[in-house]
Amino acid sequence: MTSLPSLRFCVLAALAGPALLLALLAPAGFLGRPWSERWTGRLTRAALSASFAALLLAALLYGAGPRKPVVLSLGQWFSAAGGFSFDLLIDGWSLAFASLAVAICGVVSSFSFRYLHREPGFHRYFVLLVSFVVGLLLVAFAGSIEVLFAGWEILGLSSALLVAFFHERPAPVDNGLRVFAFYRAGDACMLAAAVLLHHWAGSGSLSLLFSGAGAGLSRLGPEHVAAIGVLLIAAAAAKSALLPFSTWLPRAMEGPTPSSAVYYGALSIHAGCFLLFRAAPLIDACATTRVLAAAAGASTAAYAALVARAQTDVKSRLCFSSLTQVGVIVVEIALGWRLLAFAHMTGNACLRLLQFLAAPNALHDLHQLENELGARVAAAHEPPKAAGAAVYLWALERGFLDGLIDRRLVAPAARLAGRLEALDRRLCREPWVSGGAGEP
Amino acid sequence: MNLELGVWLAALALLPGAVLLACLFGASARRLYVVAASCAAALACVSALPLVLVHRAPAAWPLPPLSMVLVPFAALLWLLTVVVTPSGRRTEAGFARTAAACMLDLGAFLTDSPVLLLAIWAAGGALLLASHPGRPYARARRVAAAYLTASTVLLAAGVALAGPGAGPAPWGAGLILAAVLARNGIFPFHAWIPETFERGRIGPVARFAAPQLGAYVALVLALPRAGAGELRVAALLALLTAVYGSFLALHQSDARRACGYLFVSQSALVMAGLDLRARDALVGSLILWLCSGLALAALARAVLALEARRGRLRLDVRHGGYERMPQLAVCFLVMCLAIADFPGTLGFVGAEVLVRATVDAFPLLGLLAVAAVAMAGLAALRMYFSLFCGRKDSGAHLAMRRREGLGFAVAALALVGFGLAPGGLVRALSRGGDALLRRPAVGLAAAPLTRDRPAAAPRSKRCPPGRPG
Repeated sequence: MTSLPSLRFCVLAALAGPALLLALLAPAGFLGRPWSERWTGRLTRAALSASFAALLLAALLYGAGPRKPVVLSLGQWFSAAGGFSFDLLIDGWSLAFASLAVAICGVVSSFSFRYLHREPGFHRYFVLLVSFVVGLLLVAFAGSIEVLFAGWEILGLSSALLVAFFHERPAPVDNGLRVFAFYRAGDACMLAAAVLLHHWAGSGSLSLLFSGAGAGLSRLGPEHVAAIGVLLIAAAAAKSALLPFSTWLPRAMEGPTPSSAVYYGALSIHAGCFLLFRAAPLIDACATTRVLAAAAGASTAAYAALVARAQTDVKSRLCFSSLTQVGVIVVEIALGWRLLAFAHMTGNACLRLLQFLAAPNALHDLHQLENELGARVAAAHEPPKAAGAAVYLWALERGFLDGLIDRRLVAPAARLAGRLEALDRRLCREPWVSGGAGEP
Repeated sequence: MNLELGVWLAALALLPGAVLLACLFGASARRLYVVAASCAAALACVSALPLVLVHRAPAAWPLPPLSMVLVPFAALLWLLTVVVTPSGRRTEAGFARTAAACMLDLGAFLTDSPVLLLAIWAAGGALLLASHPGRPYARARRVAAAYLTASTVLLAAGVALAGPGAGPAPWGAGLILAAVLARNGIFPFHAWIPETFERGRIGPVARFAAPQLGAYVALVLALPRAGAGELRVAALLALLTAVYGSFLALHQSDARRACGYLFVSQSALVMAGLDLRARDALVGSLILWLCSGLALAALARAVLALEARRGRLRLDVRHGGYERMPQLAVCFLVMCLAIADFPGTLGFVGAEVLVRATVDAFPLLGLLAVAAVAMAGLAALRMYFSLFCGRKDSGAHLAMRRREGLGFAVAALALVGFGLAPGGLVRALSRGGDALLRRPAVGLAAAPLTRDRPAAAPRSKRCPPGRPG
């Protein structure tokens, strides 16, 4: 028999650990007196270990009980506009994803203590990593779409700031901004989905709407389901770098290797999958959303598989390999194979984490081997020769998606903005405004 | 009037008045700084007294609930202005103008008399023009004068037509609304704000361009008088302006002009909520008003502080400097996040409430608010990256002074603190919104003011705009 109060206590403790750690680390850095590396390590280790232990205990308690989803309401954050309920949804999926997330972040933080030793941004890195854990736990346990959105935004910001971690160089900063722009597009879709859900269903409760029983979905008309489903798929696509948002992924490799491992190898890139996983009843309810999700996943898998083979650096190759599997996972979710999708997600996250963290050592070993042999070791994945140079170039340049977005989206938008601004300036030069002076 | 209220009102008048007197007697800028900082700090504490004491003795504080929030807000902005102004930009005339502007704001937030508000409106405009003397600011002065004169004339005509005893006059409310749109830089009256930011003095323009007086006049004069149709047109114009402002803020290569467009965007979002005539929209708008007022004021002051050290700031180059002034960089980031309506800041609360209410009123067009919020956040983060990151800083003496750091830190903490625990503020503003909606509609043109649907009422069909669900 599940002890419900104990389960709730465990989940709250799991959330409180990283949140308290963030409350300890962030103000210290802000005040210019950051914790020493040793203490940062100890505190992080303690908080993440406690959080993981609490999650394991919660999983045991949940498994021993009737295994029904439990909604943990922490009250209203604020009361206007129908209120903002701080609801957490505890079920097998959320406990499994949260445990995976905390375990992986624990491993990465242990790795990072040595990897970033005496790095000027050591403390900043840990503040961002811990805020990532908090965001991920909110996404995992979100019981309402507002909590999901809050966690979603925290993930995005911490990711963009970690891409720009080496902020004294221009390239990471440019890439961080670019990544944030894509995330922002996804966040806008998520916010739109949240407000439309409230507008049409009168509730943002995920347990009510996406419980699978269909009772909540009956409040929505078919066109409403389609609209919200499409918006959620777009939000997931932006976060998981599905097509057409895939171009930010190689740019995100500018950050430190441990952050690339945890974000783009293991967890953040799967956050979109988890969102689709949560919204699976809604996606299943509409043929359009199922087809759209399957198409996005399949095209991304094909694209990433091809592109990964032509990449010349190990991090890009790894991230596109991870993306290939993410595409396949999305197809599995669209086909309704949820258990397989979750197992696939877990396996891919762990494998890519290991590969990312081992990559610097592997490269070091390879260079040593080449030095001793006195010759280059053949690349493991040569492009298929029959495909020809055009395909190889296409794959090497990642499908020219970056250029396409620049030409078709950014440049026309910049031109439009330039014209509008010129119009504004002209408006201020009109004689009735400038007193007849008409200066340039 | 009871004794407590009388003493409180006298303190509100005397504390900024003391700075004006000190200016009159020719105190030096250094002494004036001490006087102004002390008076502003005292005013910030005194102005918040009714919020604390009203529960104990409600009869002693017969003030509108909204005024109880807005008066401390104006005092806080004055304190921020005084504390973070760089030493090189402190002048006697500047202290006098900020004190006078604070007095005008306090006076406006304590009255709903159309004539008094018109006088304060005109005086505020004159103060802005007076802060741009001489040839270097001629262009900014002329542009601002054209728009402000137009808005003042429109307001005067509107007050004359729709004021007490003037009888029913549909045109009056429309003119008041047009005046507010002109003052707050809503399309088609938006062009003057970025222009004055670029060519004028950023401190006075930022103080003036914030939605303070315009939004307040919209609340107390336009809202009870304007018809539903007029308000909906204004709300739609404001939504379009919000998208327009944040879109152009993304494109700017000049930090001041980008600030100007961000002001336009945020001010338009506030106006969109005020014009929807629904409780939730009103509350969201009020929260966003406070948040954007504080965040944008601090952002503009931070730009000023950086300009004092680096000269004119361009956004198409990287300035670096994070390692020299990490505290300012973090505060700047917090302000950007508040503008981006990031969770954990007050902006998130305001945007969440406002966007929901806007979508309730305009199910498809309301999504423009989502687009505006997304682009404003991106524009703000672009400013942060450009001004603090991208290269190793080579500046010699770029560290912030302690008082500057303290001022920005207080602003950032207020944005985060109220964002994490918004309950009290939301309740206070909800009371203010309720009080406004309970006021009788004035004139024949006005439609009845409405309250929103009950908190958790589920709805399967779209609600008619402006009606309970």
